[in-house]
Amino acid sequence: MSAYAEIAVTTNYSFLRGASHPKELIETAAQLGHTAIGIADRNTLAGVVRAYAALKELNGSTLRLLVGARLVFTDGTPDILAYPTDRAAYGHLCRLLSAGKLRAPKGECYLALDDLLKWQDGLLLVVLPQNNEEQKEPEASFWNKGLIQGEASNPSSKHFPRDLNSLLATLRTHAPTRIWLGVSMPHHGDDQRRLRAWQKIADDADVPLLATNDVLYHCAKRRELHNVVTCIREHVTLNEAGHLLEANAERHLKSFNEMKALFHEALDAIAETIRFADRITFSLDQLKYNYPDEPIPKGKTAEQHLHDIAWQGAEFRYAGGIPDKVRAALEKELALIAKMEIAPYFLTVHDIVSFAKSQNILCQGRGSAANSVVCYVLGITAVDPMQIDLLFERFMSEERKEPPDIDVDFEHERREEVIQNIYARYGRHRAALAATVICYRPRSAIREAGKVFGLTDDVTANLSSSVWGSWGSQLKDSQVRQGRLDPANLLVARAVKAANELIGFPRHLSQHVGGFVLTQDRLDECVPVGPATMKDRFFIEWDKDDIDTLRMMKVDVLALGMLTCIRKAFDLIRAHEGKSYDLATVPREDPAVYEMLQKADAVGVFQVESRAQMSMLPRLKPVNFYDLVIEVAIVRPGPIQGDMVHPYLRRRSGKEKIDYPSPAPGMGNKDELRDVLSKTFGVPLFQEQAMKLAIVAAKFSADEANGLRRAMATFRNVGTINNFKDKFIGRMVARGYEQDFAERCFKQIEGFGSYGFPESHAASFAHLVYISAWIKKYHPAAFACALLNSQPMGFYAPAEIVRDAREHDVDARHVDVNFSAWDNTLELCTDGTLALRLGFRQVSGFREDWAKTLATCRSNGFDTVNVVARRTKLPKRALIILAEADSFQSISMDRREILWAVRRIPDDDELPLFAARYVEEQLDEEIAPLPLMPLSEHVLADYQMLRLSLKAHLMFFLRDLFRSEGVMSCAEINTARNGSKAKCAGIVLTRQMPGDAGVVFATLSDEEGVANVVVWPKLVETFRREIMGARLMLVEGRVQRGEGDVVHLVAERIFDRSHELHRLSEDEMQSLVAHTSHRHPRDVRTVPKSRDFH
Amino acid sequence: MVLVAKLDNALRLSAVDRKATALGLTIGQPLANARAMLPALKVVAANDPADLKLLTQIADWCDRFTPYVALDGPRHLLLDVTGVAHLFGGEQTMLDHIRNSLQAQGLALRGALAGTAVAARALARYRDGVVIASGEEEQAMRPLPVEALNLDGLTTHALRRAGLKTVGQVASRKRSELMARLGAVTLDVLDEALGGSAKPISSRKPPPDYWQEQNFAEPVATEEVIRFTLKSLAVALAKILELHGQGARRLEAVFFRADGAVRRIDIEMGAPTRDPLIIDRLFHAKLAMLSDPLDPGFGFDLIRLCAVHVERASLEIINLNARVNERAEINFLIDRLATCFGSHRILAFQPYDTHIPEKAWVTVPAQHAQASKLLWRKIRKAKDAPRCPLRLFARAEPVDFSTAQHFVWRKVHRVVTQCEGPERIAMEWWHHETPQAARDYFRVEDNEGKRYWLYRNTATSQWFVHGVFA
Repeated sequence: MSAYAEIAVTTNYSFLRGASHPKELIETAAQLGHTAIGIADRNTLAGVVRAYAALKELNGSTLRLLVGARLVFTDGTPDILAYPTDRAAYGHLCRLLSAGKLRAPKGECYLALDDLLKWQDGLLLVVLPQNNEEQKEPEASFWNKGLIQGEASNPSSKHFPRDLNSLLATLRTHAPTRIWLGVSMPHHGDDQRRLRAWQKIADDADVPLLATNDVLYHCAKRRELHNVVTCIREHVTLNEAGHLLEANAERHLKSFNEMKALFHEALDAIAETIRFADRITFSLDQLKYNYPDEPIPKGKTAEQHLHDIAWQGAEFRYAGGIPDKVRAALEKELALIAKMEIAPYFLTVHDIVSFAKSQNILCQGRGSAANSVVCYVLGITAVDPMQIDLLFERFMSEERKEPPDIDVDFEHERREEVIQNIYARYGRHRAALAATVICYRPRSAIREAGKVFGLTDDVTANLSSSVWGSWGSQLKDSQVRQGRLDPANLLVARAVKAANELIGFPRHLSQHVGGFVLTQDRLDECVPVGPATMKDRFFIEWDKDDIDTLRMMKVDVLALGMLTCIRKAFDLIRAHEGKSYDLATVPREDPAVYEMLQKADAVGVFQVESRAQMSMLPRLKPVNFYDLVIEVAIVRPGPIQGDMVHPYLRRRSGKEKIDYPSPAPGMGNKDELRDVLSKTFGVPLFQEQAMKLAIVAAKFSADEANGLRRAMATFRNVGTINNFKDKFIGRMVARGYEQDFAERCFKQIEGFGSYGFPESHAASFAHLVYISAWIKKYHPAAFACALLNSQPMGFYAPAEIVRDAREHDVDARHVDVNFSAWDNTLELCTDGTLALRLGFRQVSGFREDWAKTLATCRSNGFDTVNVVARRTKLPKRALIILAEADSFQSISMDRREILWAVRRIPDDDELPLFAARYVEEQLDEEIAPLPLMPLSEHVLADYQMLRLSLKAHLMFFLRDLFRSEGVMSCAEINTARNGSKAKCAGIVLTRQMPGDAGVVFATLSDEEGVANVVVWPKLVETFRREIMGARLMLVEGRVQRGEGDVVHLVAERIFDRSHELHRLSEDEMQSLVAHTSHRHPRDVRTVPKSRDFH
Repeated sequence: MVLVAKLDNALRLSAVDRKATALGLTIGQPLANARAMLPALKVVAANDPADLKLLTQIADWCDRFTPYVALDGPRHLLLDVTGVAHLFGGEQTMLDHIRNSLQAQGLALRGALAGTAVAARALARYRDGVVIASGEEEQAMRPLPVEALNLDGLTTHALRRAGLKTVGQVASRKRSELMARLGAVTLDVLDEALGGSAKPISSRKPPPDYWQEQNFAEPVATEEVIRFTLKSLAVALAKILELHGQGARRLEAVFFRADGAVRRIDIEMGAPTRDPLIIDRLFHAKLAMLSDPLDPGFGFDLIRLCAVHVERASLEIINLNARVNERAEINFLIDRLATCFGSHRILAFQPYDTHIPEKAWVTVPAQHAQASKLLWRKIRKAKDAPRCPLRLFARAEPVDFSTAQHFVWRKVHRVVTQCEGPERIAMEWWHHETPQAARDYFRVEDNEGKRYWLYRNTATSQWFVHGVFA
């Protein structure tokens, strides 16, 4: 009988030890016809779900997956493979690994033999003594550390066996009939001799011998990559690695015949692998997920409770009576939920959201199920489902039986409160964060691979810097050439090849940003749990995909800056205008708000403030909520790559006939796409539509569609998405669709791969777009103030936010010791409007506690600098910063004189003897007036301290200079004739290089406004230095007026004129020109740093 | 071209050449930024020790003008030329002379001469080449920007923010006003800049020198006397070295001939040494080896023995352990041989970590061989036969297997009686352009009891003998 099971397989989830993906190993094992494959990674179960999923994809394979772990000990015990026989034993293995992880720092696991003996019940144990004779000494220090942190009851060496014989004996007394001695034939020269020796040891101990190849990779070719990852792990180059590397390429999956040849003297050891596999009944299928039952009151079922609170909520939401449509939808949804047995999921999310509401923390749900009537009446979302017509069951496929996906965004500054509440309510043994598998990306891969090949830092930096964006899948020759290296150079080529193989390899586990896994039973009997870097945070070993695969529940508790901003704005409006709003009560569908958005007046508005969005607004001209949903979704890689944007716009404006592609006659309903695409004029824009296309037009089965959805969801599977390409396009064409349409649809799906954007997400986001736009429209001062107080967030620097507020007639007032608080605040003007008072948080280097001290000591105000110093006792440094920031204006002294006066205040580290003397004892002094500070220097100093100036724009001082060169202001560019030649200069606000297109978008700002510059890829290389380095940029080019009055200056020549800024102050000029002077760090940032995205 | 150094955890430009400055690069800019602007940028890592070394060398050279030469920061030299300028034709001439000589050596420099160090430093930077007579510093300094005072960044910033942008503007403020705000140090610097008080410059410390010399009333010429003299000097030097816990790595003997000519001879040791016996024998060997003999002419009137390069050496403990002494003997042998034949010709083996048997060692100059961190790999386990032979053939020799049991090597027919293996060793793929086949090594014993280390090329199935077990 030719049967073999490979029991000792290490995947690349044993980070930098295994050199193959679980999928590759599973596929190879299946090809080789193995009976079973045992995945056992080093002290982890992180890779088993991938293997499980890979096996499921191999429909009809007879291969069995055995789930286990390779226990690596810190007390000198040789490695032991542990395989649970049943669900209970699996729980023990998880507990064992969790215990080891909890006493170790993040990413480590400290185990001793005693831990194993404690949890061995039901585990099959294979002892794998080192093949190399040089056994490592136990690392005492590690272990001691573990003891200190871990459970105190760890008499580590009580059972510590001196040799293999006694180890086997010890294990056998604890776990009789569950011990094996694993042996491999690694071609070390003495294989046969060792086999005989171990055979004897095994016989003496009455323990069966088990054949394995101790696999590290799926095929012999992977030896090279294995060498590379070994070097990365050991921080050596290949030349230095020597015996750290394996001597040969033998540790790959081998066929039954190969194994038989190797073990011809001990064929029973091969047969034993099958007996071993047969003992195991556990499979990941048995992990049955239970919802926590906290939110359900005693005596009620989850369905009843959900039913009750949903109808209560509906009464509340629709105070004027529940519309029939809602009533019907709600009944339908509740029925479906009951049928799918997912009521507890909604209750759990509702539970978390209710807590946030009770604490006045804004939150909003999104995700496939979030835009249901149920979620609306439960208060999980504020998007009225009547406003947007989403079919609940479209996203809840009954066949899949997966829990729905709801992400909840919370205010970013207060999310921690929500998280702590979850821990408190469900307990740390039942709630933990999901993991995120951090994988090698092109940049990190080439950097580390380059090091291994001995390339210098300079060369690898060069290579990795030529990779724009970090998500690309492979390094191309063109990128190598861009790094000024020869792709034909053997060393470079090898490094690139290794890097390409390395891309997508897991590197380490990190905690997911907010995905909580909650269970009813102990979570650590379901999956090992370990500590995160953050204190008191724990995360499991599986990531989002794994959790999906196993159908466990996850609630994403995410942080969203805009919610913080909106809540702060609501607070300000309540405090200053006495009106209360929340996400659901802001007046809806206000035409003035849409009018504002149509003009692309959207600085600070959620989502639609980016360059691309801003240029879309006037073309799309949103007039209602659903238009915003489209606006949010359309400027995404999916629709753009699928070339769906222009057709949509043309059809919307009536320039193109709306038609629905249909299959050839006789191939089915000719209107089959009308249902799918009618909302978007026949152009697929949303991820759901693309999926639906696959099912309706390409006739994908539910399973195939599911596979496509998975391939789409994760960039790692960029390779796998191509498997669907031929199927998708081929079937559509076969059914009579045009090749071009099919290809575009698929391109779009590929685009969704990197940033999927479903309609339901867009709807939730659109709601926040509307609300932030509404606040901006009606409460511009509160909006700007809240935005500034929620920084860092959004797209624009404070200078732009303040400038935009002033353009909307908000009076902005400078930071002042007599009026400002830490946060920016609003002040009532005499005419009843609100003015924005900048707060100390805008001042670089100032501290929150100083601001508090200042506010509490203020009483009736300060009238001199000395009074400030005396009352607040702030350190001199704080006073100097205040003076530098010109925040003594209300004391009405010149900035220079204040600075000069502040410096006179004695230093902080006063001798105690003189402490009493302090400030008041200083005699007045008669001094000559200082030279007047020119306005330009004031502005520059403002920029240095606050990154903005209310006094003037920097460009104002250079206008004459540029005027003489024929440079137009930004405002003039925006009104210039289409196609005219123009020059424009300004401070660079943003530069973006979206996607791989190579186009650079830059925004210039001057005293009259902003101008949008486009640089085509050809020019980017020529003017790279100017584009990347200029703070003040002069662009020569042609004005291009697009649809909806979008004006671009298409660059033809670009100049870096940053040096002109030095003209503004002799000061700066000197400090930059004088080569020996050591500049104060504050001087370096002459103007606000522009934000770069690439 | 730019130099880069690690600062605040990022590679930043630490120096930029003229062309780079013209292209807008500045000191302190992160390298990543600069590279984004100019992908073709030539980048060299800054080497502060090398810069310092060069500056020290220049300072050494300047010793000819005045004994008071001071290093002033990483890029400046201060020379106190009080009372020596006339020796070089006056101040202006001297300054020009220094400038011309250094420029002739390919160095770019700025320089000025003034009554105080602060003034000279400032003027060198802003008015290259001037000579300011004592008492005229104030006039010269007043128009210069405040940066000329070389105060710390915060103080300079404070002065500029106050609108006091030239030295003159600062000087016109009241002393009490400046004192209260900027402290006494600033006032001192200001005073010095204006020619008020001058601080003496602190000259470079001479490096700790260990040397002994002997004068002779009558010039000596015979080899015996010279050798005897060197020996006694070595004894004296050893005492000083021992007192300081030092040992010499390089020694130089300087022979001053009566007619003014100087001959220098040096010896080098692999380990710090102060044993007069060793020193003596090494010099003896070196003198004997000289191709042009030490020509005493009319004889030497001064012989000096200097320890040019010293290292810490612990007290010698007489060790009865023969192995340690053995090591010392070997070191001495190496030194002697190196003295005769040159350091690069006396080599030692060191282990090299690789699986490839014939590459498991490298040779390095024995005198400079650091104790290798690697250990020689054990080729045998306890109570076990060696896994590979002690000696390998320089070139593996092909053998023919007629049957599995019979092979021919060096034309002799051999019969295999025992065999163990294979030990598969894959080649180091990263060294080869085309993939190389792995080798399967076998330990083989023939019917005469001879043991061989055979291998089979796994691609061609050719057999080779790589070595024989002794």
